[in-house]
Amino acid sequence: MSSLSDRLKRITGQQRFVVARLMVQLTGAQTNPLLGTLNRVSGQAMEAENALEQLSEGLVDICQHLLQLQPYWQAAANEGDVVWDEGEASDYFNELFTDSAQRYLCQPQQVTDEDSDDTLFLTPSENLVVMITLVGQGDIPDLETDLAEIDALNRGLKAIISLAYQDKLEAIQVHFSPARFGESLTADQVLENFPELIPL
Amino acid sequence: MWRRVFAGVLCISLLWGFGVDLTPGRSPVTPAAAYAANLPSGEYQVQQAQYNDENGEYQLLLLNTPPGQPPLFSSTDVQMMPLTEEEQAAGQRSYLSLDKGQAVLHLAPDFRIDYIHAVTETQTNPQTGQPETVVVRQQSSFWTPFAGALAGQAIGNMLFSPSYYVPPMYQPGGPLTGYGGSGRSYEQAVKSYQTTHNEPPAAVKNRQTLRTTGSLRNNRNNRGNSFGSRSRNGGTAAERSGRSTGSGIGASRLRGNSQRSGTVKRRSGGFGSGRSRTRSGSFGRRRR
Repeated sequence: MSSLSDRLKRITGQQRFVVARLMVQLTGAQTNPLLGTLNRVSGQAMEAENALEQLSEGLVDICQHLLQLQPYWQAAANEGDVVWDEGEASDYFNELFTDSAQRYLCQPQQVTDEDSDDTLFLTPSENLVVMITLVGQGDIPDLETDLAEIDALNRGLKAIISLAYQDKLEAIQVHFSPARFGESLTADQVLENFPELIPL
Repeated sequence: MWRRVFAGVLCISLLWGFGVDLTPGRSPVTPAAAYAANLPSGEYQVQQAQYNDENGEYQLLLLNTPPGQPPLFSSTDVQMMPLTEEEQAAGQRSYLSLDKGQAVLHLAPDFRIDYIHAVTETQTNPQTGQPETVVVRQQSSFWTPFAGALAGQAIGNMLFSPSYYVPPMYQPGGPLTGYGGSGRSYEQAVKSYQTTHNEPPAAVKNRQTLRTTGSLRNNRNNRGNSFGSRSRNGGTAAERSGRSTGSGIGASRLRGNSQRSGTVKRRSGGFGSGRSRTRSGSFGRRRR
């Protein structure tokens, strides 16, 4: 029944938008270099003239880095929906942005110690959560499933990479916690703020 | 006998269910027209038309609007078609036809639309530190969508039914003639522009938005140091609260929804890992 109405909507020229969000939790100090990639990508996107284009290039880097870190994947979750209305997709996308953003400190207090006389010693974070939300056009079967399995997540990340190369992404957002190397995300904080994560 | 009746009932119920989707030609996303609600359906002569490529909005100055109504009509959802030969022979001028909120401009071949080109630049807002797309200055030109169209451009019936048109690429100096893309829906018009020009039209490019949050937002000024800041007593500020730090960035080129603001549609289906947040549109307290 739903596939029939899908087909009918396609015939009448409506566009299909897939709004999807996936979360990956990584554990282990070895995953911390990913923070560098994430910060570099978001910095470049903020500077760029065409932010979306830059962010979709950066998304490829992020997904590749995530794929490399597969042994450290701890938990994952995804959600999303198919909508037939661009405005609704935009609303949902913005809603997911707000929802993702409230899982970490939006206005962190700036602790600046000017006279830092102690030696530079930073503890790597044990946990790292990356949230990727995107809106794509057409069918994305690899994302429209349950991604809380290693194989499915593998395929999903690869699907994102190819979508980015095909310039099919209408909107992209990337969230990550903690923000920088040297800040930590504890297991308790993950449990509390990311309740939907399912261990892989 | 019963089987036939049953099949008939099924057919009728199917048609009933999809009746809404079957109206063609109407773009699913139609940003609200500022004055469209006030104007009753009908035909209005167009005195002047203006197109702004900052947001893709048409502004029309109309004649013979009902008394008490402003003669202005502005909308981004405007279809166009040239005047038919019969209308031209009858001396009909360019007019706007409004039918249940759907605006169709019937234009004479020589009708010139004032084209406002917005020169944009990405600047950093000094107060918030956020990058913004700012209109630096505006340039004006003219756009004649159907100049010479009747001579040879008519491909089948395409030109003689209302469709969406995207203006050609802006070139400073000369007037714009013809169109950059056309289609039954706005998205199709944008797509046909994109295949020939390899980039989205100006109105689409300008609606890109960038959103940032968290540490990215606060540390724009001193992003040079990419390490976490620690306080003297050892712990970061984040360790004292329930949440860690984080950053988020989002870019989008989707058209926003100005018409349906406020109404949250119930999302029934969807996909995802089972235990994820339910979005069943209800109010009130939610237990984790």
